[in-house]
Amino acid sequence: MADWREGCVVGVDIGSTTTKAVAFSKEGYLKGPLMPTGAVPEKAGRAAVEGLATVAGIPFEAIQFTVATGYGRLLASASGFADKVISEISCHATGAFYLNPRTRLIVDIGGQDSKGIGLTAAGVVENFVMNDKCAAGTGRFLEEMAELLGYELDEIGEVSLRSESPCEISSTCTVFAETEVHALTTARKRPEDILAGLHKAVAKRVAAMVKALGVREEAVFTGGVSKNRGVVKWLEERLGMAFTPLPDDPQYAGALGAAVLGFRLRQ
Amino acid sequence: MAVDQTIDRCRELIAEPLGVIAERWKESHPGGRVAACFPVWSPAELIHAGGMLPLGLLGGGATVELTHADARFQSFVCSISKSTLELGFQGLLKGVDGLVFSNICDVARNLSSIYKRNFPHFHVDYLHLPQNSTSAGVADYTAEELRRVARGFESAFGVKITEDSIGKSVELYNAIRARLRALYAFRIAEPQKLSTVELYLILRALTQADPEESLIRLDELLAELPGREGRPKDRIRVVIEGAFCEQPPLGLLEVLEEAGCYVVEDDLLLGWRWFTSDVPVNADPFRALGQSYVDRAVPSSTRHEGREHRSKGLIEKVRRSRADAVIFTPPKFCEPALFDYVPMKQGLEREAIPHLLVEFEEKMWTFERTRNEVETFVESMLFD
Repeated sequence: MADWREGCVVGVDIGSTTTKAVAFSKEGYLKGPLMPTGAVPEKAGRAAVEGLATVAGIPFEAIQFTVATGYGRLLASASGFADKVISEISCHATGAFYLNPRTRLIVDIGGQDSKGIGLTAAGVVENFVMNDKCAAGTGRFLEEMAELLGYELDEIGEVSLRSESPCEISSTCTVFAETEVHALTTARKRPEDILAGLHKAVAKRVAAMVKALGVREEAVFTGGVSKNRGVVKWLEERLGMAFTPLPDDPQYAGALGAAVLGFRLRQ
Repeated sequence: MAVDQTIDRCRELIAEPLGVIAERWKESHPGGRVAACFPVWSPAELIHAGGMLPLGLLGGGATVELTHADARFQSFVCSISKSTLELGFQGLLKGVDGLVFSNICDVARNLSSIYKRNFPHFHVDYLHLPQNSTSAGVADYTAEELRRVARGFESAFGVKITEDSIGKSVELYNAIRARLRALYAFRIAEPQKLSTVELYLILRALTQADPEESLIRLDELLAELPGREGRPKDRIRVVIEGAFCEQPPLGLLEVLEEAGCYVVEDDLLLGWRWFTSDVPVNADPFRALGQSYVDRAVPSSTRHEGREHRSKGLIEKVRRSRADAVIFTPPKFCEPALFDYVPMKQGLEREAIPHLLVEFEEKMWTFERTRNEVETFVESMLFD
């Protein structure tokens, strides 16, 4: 416990859907509980850090340096509990590289956006690409479609893998895709085939974006959608390569990266 | 006037509709005429020489809602063209008498005709700028085209544009441009004392104000700026390139700086500071302007520069301003900017100059994605 108190740096990733916090010191790292972000991102950030402090056995007040990342990072800084903000792309890159130093490409699909990040051999961001301002190719798209078909978000990936004849979904625009899903359900298409088609559509869009960076190995998949085995399968098929599994929860890569970068800045 | 007050005044001025500015000027200049120029190059000297007020016709920004222009333009047309047309439909140019467009792209070319057809009460002219700047006859051609535009104003408004009056206007605008060059040099030297948002506000206010008064304000600014407080921050120095026609939202420029950049060079409002040195004042000012349009021109995507690689001017700009990187900021659907993006990008890569592409449109109001991209770009250089 004393080791954690000495020089421990906290990274908090306030994403659009979930908030994660990680403590990092020379002894290693420790993850806090996953929190829903909700309507007040800075509150979620603080709650995630408090949750982490409890897990780590550190009084909240003893945390001397906190780095915030994710879409709520500026609010965390403005509300005073984050000492520094770093972009989520830099943090995801650092976190993934820390977990696997052979990482050269990261595909990150979160609740509101999707990204491709190319890394140098030293783990520095070389280039990156992000989706445009619509929800196509993001976790939000899948969430909308799961709701439309009456499934929970965390089960659609598995259901989609049961498909033997995926439907063709021509659009990844959430509104237009919804129209297509209505047409497919009216035509009595099986839910797993519709879901497989939706997952393929997401994979197609993200793969096209990532290919602009140049596909390179080893590639890792981070963000909440990386837990969806359906997206993983069709993305790997589209990219013509397999993702290297990270040795820890990929959803925490951003928070871990924030903590690692904060620790380096403090050295 | 203190620097901050001047900048606040500039901010207020550019928020006013062009017609309000024109009407106010006319109150103090009874019988006066006002002519506004669509980007990029603005023949302000010609207009001023006729006793008229030259203004910049720079679109409607984020405040003008499009209710007519969308029905007349395709969805893939740039925002500044649509909102500029909308200004006419909403009566926001009331008080402006003349409009000048030039052949910077197909959309600008047609905007001139659309204005003529829909608003016959305006005197609308279309300046045919030379496409081939390497031809021996280019200066004479441009001079003759400027004479034609001048005759058009004379005929429409009964003003007189003489060689003598143009000479005096050239001297005035030479003085303004010299001050602008000094402001740009100041920002290169001490970007912490003059942000790009501030410099842009000053520059844009110049396109909405009486030039004689502008010159006085510029002298005051140049005298006061060195004494301004400003602590250098750990930022990268960047050149922004691409927003030479459609005006970027102030929020975009703010985000670039907040995300960790000192913008030390740009191509904002390029047409109002086109000449890299003074236009000679001689017996034939039309020819002096025509010649200068070609051989004192800043590198621009709206002017063909013969066989010279488009990246050359950009790389020189990077070196001269001691910039670390380039952020391309083309407006959405801007063909000249996007066509040149590829050769410029290739040139930068040959020189190992980092670059980033950030598209914008004038109605953009949320910049979080841009902030994320620029922060990452900055961090990738600072953490390297």
